[in-house]
Amino acid sequence: MKHKLPTPSLSRAVARALCPATTTQCDSAFPSKTVTTANFEPSLAELRRHVRSSDFVAIDLEMSGITSAPWRESLEFDRSDVRYLKVRDSATKFAVVQFGVCPFRWDSSNNSFVAYPHSFYVFPRQEHAGLGPCDEFLWQTTSMDFLAKYQFDFNACIHEGISYLSREQERKALRSLNSTYDSEWSDICKLKDVRDMPLLSAADILFTARMKNKFREWRDGLLHEQNLEDQIQGDTGDSKFQEMFFEMHPALRLNGFTSHQLKLIQLVIRKHFKDLSYVSVNSEASNLQQLVVYTDSKDELNSLLKKVKEENHGAEKMKIQAAVGLRHVIDLLSSEQKLIVGHNCFLDLAHVYSKFIGPLPDTPEEFVTSVNKCFPHIVDTKILLNTNFMLHEKMKRSRKSLAAAFTSFCPQIAAGSTSSYPGSLSHVKVEVEVDDVRSSSWNPGGKHEAGYDAFMTGCIFAQLCSDLGIDYKLHDSSKQLALDEKLQNYVNRLYLSWMHGDIIDLSTGNKVGDSSPSYSLRKRYPKILFENIVIIWGFPSKLKANEVRECISKVFGPTSVVSVFHLDATAVFVQFSKTELVSDFLSLKNTLEGSDGALLVLHPLSKLLEGGNTCAANYGTYKEICGSPLSECLFADQVKAVGIKWKTKLPEFKIALGVEEHENPSVGNVNIAMETVKMTKPNTIDQLRNAPFRRQVSTHEVEDSCVAEANL
Amino acid sequence: MASVFQLRRRFLCTSSKWKVKQVTTSNFEESLQEIKTHISSSDYVAVSMARTGSPSPPSWLRPLPFDTAQTAYSKARRAAHRFQVLHFAVCPFSVSHSDKLLAHPYNFVLFPRDELKMGMPAYSFSSQTSLLASMARRGFDFNACVYNGISYLSRAQESAAKVRLGAALPSLREVKSSSSPTVADTVFVERTRSRIKHWRKTFERSGTSTSRDEELINSLKNIVLGSEQFRSRPCMTIDVCSERQVQLILEMLVDHSDDLLPLLIPTKSGTTHALRIVLANSKEDKELLERELQNFEEEESKKIRGFREVIDSISASQKPVICYNCLNDCTLIHSKFIAPLPLEVDEFVSSLHSIFPNVLDINYLMKKHGTMRKVTNIPSAISYLNNNFFAPVDLEIPDQATVKEGKIHGLNALRLGYLFMKLCSILKISPNVTDSGNKHLAPELEDFTNVFHPCSPPIQDSSNAGDVGVWTNNTRKISCEHLVFLWGFNLGITAGMLKSLLRSSHNIFSREFDVKLVDKSCAIVVFWQPGVSKQFLDIMNSEEMSGDLKELVSNGLRVTSYETYDRICRLGLWEMDLRESLERALENSWCDEKSNCGTKSSEIHWYNDNVINLDDL
Repeated sequence: MKHKLPTPSLSRAVARALCPATTTQCDSAFPSKTVTTANFEPSLAELRRHVRSSDFVAIDLEMSGITSAPWRESLEFDRSDVRYLKVRDSATKFAVVQFGVCPFRWDSSNNSFVAYPHSFYVFPRQEHAGLGPCDEFLWQTTSMDFLAKYQFDFNACIHEGISYLSREQERKALRSLNSTYDSEWSDICKLKDVRDMPLLSAADILFTARMKNKFREWRDGLLHEQNLEDQIQGDTGDSKFQEMFFEMHPALRLNGFTSHQLKLIQLVIRKHFKDLSYVSVNSEASNLQQLVVYTDSKDELNSLLKKVKEENHGAEKMKIQAAVGLRHVIDLLSSEQKLIVGHNCFLDLAHVYSKFIGPLPDTPEEFVTSVNKCFPHIVDTKILLNTNFMLHEKMKRSRKSLAAAFTSFCPQIAAGSTSSYPGSLSHVKVEVEVDDVRSSSWNPGGKHEAGYDAFMTGCIFAQLCSDLGIDYKLHDSSKQLALDEKLQNYVNRLYLSWMHGDIIDLSTGNKVGDSSPSYSLRKRYPKILFENIVIIWGFPSKLKANEVRECISKVFGPTSVVSVFHLDATAVFVQFSKTELVSDFLSLKNTLEGSDGALLVLHPLSKLLEGGNTCAANYGTYKEICGSPLSECLFADQVKAVGIKWKTKLPEFKIALGVEEHENPSVGNVNIAMETVKMTKPNTIDQLRNAPFRRQVSTHEVEDSCVAEANL
Repeated sequence: MASVFQLRRRFLCTSSKWKVKQVTTSNFEESLQEIKTHISSSDYVAVSMARTGSPSPPSWLRPLPFDTAQTAYSKARRAAHRFQVLHFAVCPFSVSHSDKLLAHPYNFVLFPRDELKMGMPAYSFSSQTSLLASMARRGFDFNACVYNGISYLSRAQESAAKVRLGAALPSLREVKSSSSPTVADTVFVERTRSRIKHWRKTFERSGTSTSRDEELINSLKNIVLGSEQFRSRPCMTIDVCSERQVQLILEMLVDHSDDLLPLLIPTKSGTTHALRIVLANSKEDKELLERELQNFEEEESKKIRGFREVIDSISASQKPVICYNCLNDCTLIHSKFIAPLPLEVDEFVSSLHSIFPNVLDINYLMKKHGTMRKVTNIPSAISYLNNNFFAPVDLEIPDQATVKEGKIHGLNALRLGYLFMKLCSILKISPNVTDSGNKHLAPELEDFTNVFHPCSPPIQDSSNAGDVGVWTNNTRKISCEHLVFLWGFNLGITAGMLKSLLRSSHNIFSREFDVKLVDKSCAIVVFWQPGVSKQFLDIMNSEEMSGDLKELVSNGLRVTSYETYDRICRLGLWEMDLRESLERALENSWCDEKSNCGTKSSEIHWYNDNVINLDDL
């Protein structure tokens, strides 16, 4: 696990304090380009150049959180489709706070790679009304704490984070813009909106009369063919009316009126002047302007209005373009079709998709095919590490977290110098270039800074490729690295569920079995049969997993229960040895609750059903609940919030008996001896909950640690 | 005090010169001691907090003028549950005879850090980008907040945490003489008594024997029998089913008070589920243990409670609390520092009453003052009062010199105190009435305490409503039964267009009615004559629709009564669009026929603030 390696990044904190703005000029710190709204435009242009000439681009994301509720954490009992639903929930609820992009280019003259690490601070602000990402997002407290531990700058993120529009949001904004464009002169002549207002107050009447005179005078002045110069001279006294030419027409700009007064002016113009028109212009050059324009004829007016309309439309379009923001980076990566490298990047890709492309689809298969359309070549270093036997041997002892892999594969880079390390020739050299300054030595960078994490990922990938026998010297730069046959077994494959070794092929959407050595090691643990699983919730809170097992075993036999696993304090999974037992258990529960209390008290299951709130269902219900957009903290509360009212989900063939009926438990008052709650060693769920999620931000370690726990 | 830095502003109030002590983890301990003394010597405590989100237009989740106390509370409950408070300003102040204000403002920076690694106080929380951005614009330091913010646990979370930490509380409860025991009680007491006796005997015997073998046997026996130890003293645990049984055991143990110390083991809900009885070596040993436990508990609790200590000391002082918006602030305080909010507003009000007996709503006080309707925030209210009234307030803030330079946040609590004094002076209310040495609230002020009403700008201020022109400023009181929710019309339609559309659709609309858009997809229709709304709903549910109305319904027009709205708020069917929520409620309605959402307060003020007084409920 990355965060377990004790590397206090004090140097980085100091470096940041000294050079907060952009790059770290200091020789010691890891050079990485920090991008905020202040320097976004030039940095983007520069990045564009680097990406175009790159061989591959490594990415990494830092998020505001991983899981919206404890039971949504990655669990042993998650089928791959459930895993996807959990990832989808995470990607839709949390925000990306930092986006790391690091293009790598092979420099044949130096026989080394050149890396260009960038960290973009991201904040989903709404730049313009109604234009932008969803206004609300979630923070996970422990993730914030974790980010803080690595000196994440929340102020930079919130003050100067770059916003974005997804492709879908941009399309929507343009569509609604076009529809207003198509509708009649909506924005220009606001006349449509203004119905005849009764002039209520004396002030309104006086004001209207004054305006009428004012405009008449001005119009008459124009018609008397006076020298316009004189006119302007003569009229400067009133700052509310500014004489000007608008598209070769004489016009008055209205300044400092209230919206009510502007409405009255519109009414006056419409009622009394055929040759004057009220125009509201919203162009690029100037902000919103209210004008009264004189035109000679109706045709002239129409062509003028058309022009204004187009201009306003153009300005709106520009606004939308500007709001696209950070998505330009994604569009760049997508259009250049470069090989994208990530480390355990399924969640990262889900975030990229939901933030920059559109809403996440319902199934993992649809998701990966859509991702493939945007990014045709993706490689996950985790797949490379696990599925290649040779690499796996090398990694055997250490854990497969990003930082651990980095130190074991690129020790010379991790140590901070590419030149002085007396390493073997097989080590790929990597230099870093920021703002045209090349450096080859630095102090180890700050982990969990997106730019540095992306850099580490890229270095590992470069080294792994070299270990696989790809010779960069012979490599033709015109030939794509992604198409190299030595990489074909690894490109476009992602771990959908690491624990079950479900790998999904992005180009086909098919699941590929994991043949990796690490998976075969895990194989000796019993495979989970999801159709044999019952999920039970709402039982008495002090009931522990072994008591649940005991209770059920008394009824269905000592070998009936394979395993019991706490989802959280309010719910357990019970895996039966046979599929039939699932329906047997559910029907028995249903019958017991239908019967009178006396029968139940004596029954071995009474302990489980005590309190009358115990509910049970098969695995399908668990999936259904994971798919809900809600996230209550406890699973039992979540089920309630989702709106499930039944207590037992009977197997399909018995549905005719009535599923929704048994809502009336007659077993509330069974008085049984209380359990003594002592300090026991934490059960599985406590460990699961306490171990990884306290300090996490990126998922890299989540699955590792979960497996580690599961394997205990 | 030697370094008293006096601030006298008789005519102008430039609050930018005011300084508020900023409190983070580094100076929390000392500040806590200070503020505790200030709270106990003050007359009032003003509070104000910054949250990470609050529903705003165009969302229907904001408080709306047609909300009843219940629906407004449900919305506030949702917001309090979802959002986090990032800083909490507290300003205890006292008032002397000559309208002199002595204030001690503090601003506590909070962060719900999971100190105990238990997913508490908040596993995750929601935030609104627009709100965070505006906090950033005002210079709020988010790094200081996350890095050094003070954590806390609510009372409910504290007791849950104690159970999970296994820390048992020594029973400090007095032994009250209870009502006459029943037979069952006697049996229970006798059984427990004999259990304890037997248990004690085993130790007495083992105490006399010194043989090693016996010791070994004893320790083996302990393991086999599951004897427990508490701080290297033997103990036994007795399960109880009720507080009554706890009481009985405690009474019984009075006879053995020399060396037996009973400890209560609480459950998550705060009740007791077992008693642990510890056997001490002697009376001195028992006292030692008691002290030890008390100190330990103090230390632990301090760590656990964190910022809540401040709330607890305000509560313990029973001083009147002043806030700007009672409903929003008190729901937030209750949900973060006391316990999860109950479903019903009545329960909330009574629960809050036990914590803060008097809560004064400044916003309400200003509105009652009449001319202040348009003022929306505290600084503008102050400048309004300064510009229009001559009401000098002498403000003194001691300890100003000790405040470090830097960004000052949390001025609002201080401003509230200042505003309160100004209002009192303008309204000629004496803030304190001294009655035989005891200070208490002036009777005029009592009318403004414990008022939980939704604070919302009047509906005519919302942007899409300006051009309708059928709305007058008259306050008309109408019953919820007169209101009908309507959706399924074309998006982008204005209320005026919708009204004329309806008028031409059916002759029921020949009666006086008004239409208002709630959000972009849903409107509310008010029929001014009683019974018409019922008729309209009946028509919409019957087959005999005809003409244009039939056409509208075929195109998807749907209606429902106010009762559905009430239900979505209660059930928490919070969708982004109101129509989605209403549809969901209608879909679900068949399964809970029993919901008799009795509209206790079905009267609302159309256009007016919906005021429900605590004491009337």
